[in-house]
Amino acid sequence: MTARTVLRKEWRLLRADRALRIALGLFGVLLVYALANGVVWTRFQERNIESAQTQNVERAAGFAEELAHIEAGGEPASQFADPRSPFVMGGSSGSHTATLEPGPLSVLAVGQSDLLPYYYDVNIYTNESTLQQNGEVENPVNLMAGRFDLTFVVVYLLPLLVLALSFNVLSAERERGTLALTLSQPVRVRSIVAAKLAFRAMLAVGLVLAVAVVGLLATGGAGSPGRMLLWCGAVVAYALFWFALAAWVNTLRRTSAWNATVLVGAWLVLVVVLPAAINIAADLLHPLPSRVEMITVQREASNEAVNSRSELLARYLEDHPEMAEGVVADDPGFGALSWAATDAVNQQVEVVTAEHDARRAEQIRLVRRYRYLSPALLAQDVIIDAAGTGDARYAHFRDQVRVFAEEWREFFVPAILADEQMTASVLPQVPTYRAVEEDPGDAARRTAAPLTVLGGLVLLVGMGAGVGLGRVRGAD
Amino acid sequence: MQNGESRAGHAPLLEARGLSKNYGDTRALDGLDLTIAPGEVYCLLGPNGAGKTTTINLFLGFVAPSGGQALVSGLDVATHDRETKQRLAYIPEQVMLYRNLSGLENLEYFAALGGRGSLGRERLTEILVEAGLERDAVDRRVSEYSKGMRQKVGIAIAIAKEADALLLDEPTSGLDPKASNEFSALVERLRGRGVGVLMATHDLFRAKDTGTRVGIMRYGRLVTELSTDEIGHADLERIYLEHMHD
Repeated sequence: MTARTVLRKEWRLLRADRALRIALGLFGVLLVYALANGVVWTRFQERNIESAQTQNVERAAGFAEELAHIEAGGEPASQFADPRSPFVMGGSSGSHTATLEPGPLSVLAVGQSDLLPYYYDVNIYTNESTLQQNGEVENPVNLMAGRFDLTFVVVYLLPLLVLALSFNVLSAERERGTLALTLSQPVRVRSIVAAKLAFRAMLAVGLVLAVAVVGLLATGGAGSPGRMLLWCGAVVAYALFWFALAAWVNTLRRTSAWNATVLVGAWLVLVVVLPAAINIAADLLHPLPSRVEMITVQREASNEAVNSRSELLARYLEDHPEMAEGVVADDPGFGALSWAATDAVNQQVEVVTAEHDARRAEQIRLVRRYRYLSPALLAQDVIIDAAGTGDARYAHFRDQVRVFAEEWREFFVPAILADEQMTASVLPQVPTYRAVEEDPGDAARRTAAPLTVLGGLVLLVGMGAGVGLGRVRGAD
Repeated sequence: MQNGESRAGHAPLLEARGLSKNYGDTRALDGLDLTIAPGEVYCLLGPNGAGKTTTINLFLGFVAPSGGQALVSGLDVATHDRETKQRLAYIPEQVMLYRNLSGLENLEYFAALGGRGSLGRERLTEILVEAGLERDAVDRRVSEYSKGMRQKVGIAIAIAKEADALLLDEPTSGLDPKASNEFSALVERLRGRGVGVLMATHDLFRAKDTGTRVGIMRYGRLVTELSTDEIGHADLERIYLEHMHD
């Protein structure tokens, strides 16, 4: 009864408060704009992926056509692009593009998808360096600041809306003088404040969830109810944390102005300063090796390898005796020598990229360890992972591409070493990339800890607020 | 000293037993004993800081007693917060309402909080009119109301609640004589329905005119108690000033 009464009164107050209506309207516009940004980015990725998949088909069809032409007695169109050469069919011009579909909820969270590659041109030259390069040319300012997507609105702006709606949830009643009259009724202050906050939560969180769900339904991305549930759970828990914090600050019996100052300070520390400090600490403690260094190593290794190809081939065959069949040891062909050089370069690059990966892993570990200090980091982690645009799904994709690249090499390298020619009959056997999505439960397992901690924080701060509210009297 | 039970022949609605309140080292209320029966209007007189508002706050459970008990219909306020508030209505010196809501919406809200459920627009309007508000003012925003009009909404809230006892904290302070008079008439009407009233006031004339008994407080103590039908206005003023000059 109390809840319904308070909700009706709050609704009337909202209708009568023009400033509040404008603030909510503005927030709604920002939500729609952020969603539109997510949709535009997702559509861009989908177009690229579709184009890459079309090119895969066209390349295979082109090879089939030219091989048929050659096998019918014709000449190759170019000596340097003769599809009979495994170097051509398995090399750059015969690349197969492995793609990762946008995350199931990518319209809600761009996440790491503008930073990490979502497609790779796989060929015999694919190495660890290739796997670390993004083919997209992206505005570095966008990469630094992050895109203005729904996640940005949720992590940075939703707390501000929550605080604007609730910084004076109790202090205003005291300052307005209505607290005494209210508490002279047979009601508990906890029930009153809880109902007032519930109304505000319905407005703020309801607006976010409504835009998100409508956006997903409109863009056909609502096929992952489990991930959607996780996403919503994180948004609700994050918003509740800020509501609970506002309620707790209100129990300290200070003025509304004091509450606002303290709460904005808390937002600044928890949302801006702490995450930035953790990222800076990660960069300082585990700096990533320079990419220029990686490229230099690759070039130097390449030059060195070209000059000692015979020696490298002998060493390669020692390491890979299964590949030795068909190689004429005394007079290896150009292909075998080139491959030996390529492999040597790959090995050198692996040393540098392993160092890079190790540092990056250290950075991620450090950020993961200290993310528990900031509800914003916790929420962001869960939201991005739930959307399928987090580190983990991209690492899963990279691992699959690694396996596929190996499969590709295993198909073409023996032919290169044996100086064999490719025919139209082998085309159906050329490996193609088949993406395997991670287990739907993986995201839930990964996000269980941060979501639990976030829930625990809500409970802790909420209990503090509950205890504080229990002490509030009408004469305060 | 006569107590309310014997005078009205009913169990006391409000009773203070050795009620005390300390704020730090300051003794705001010192062992107050008081009973108010149904249909009684008890006026607490005294200078600022005498303990009048503290007494009312103790009956409302707004502050916890340092000693003694505040009882409403025999229930201890400290242990029966909701039950006692169910039986009480409170009108402060300044009835502060939601400025962006109308008088009717404010009444609907506080009446519902008071446990009267949804009374319906007709009944709420009747109550506001009964409390003295003009019919055409009930839908106007409270931000347009005068202090007297807000006090009338406060009375309407008390009427709607159908409370057994009314706690008034200097309710006519700042009201013009006409509004004060109307207010007294409303209190008189509630008294006629058997409502017990405890009113803290500085207004000796109003106390004599509206009250059935008067208690004079000083330094947190009830220094004397008088029956208003046994004294005149001048007597009350004289007795009051005598106690203030001690």
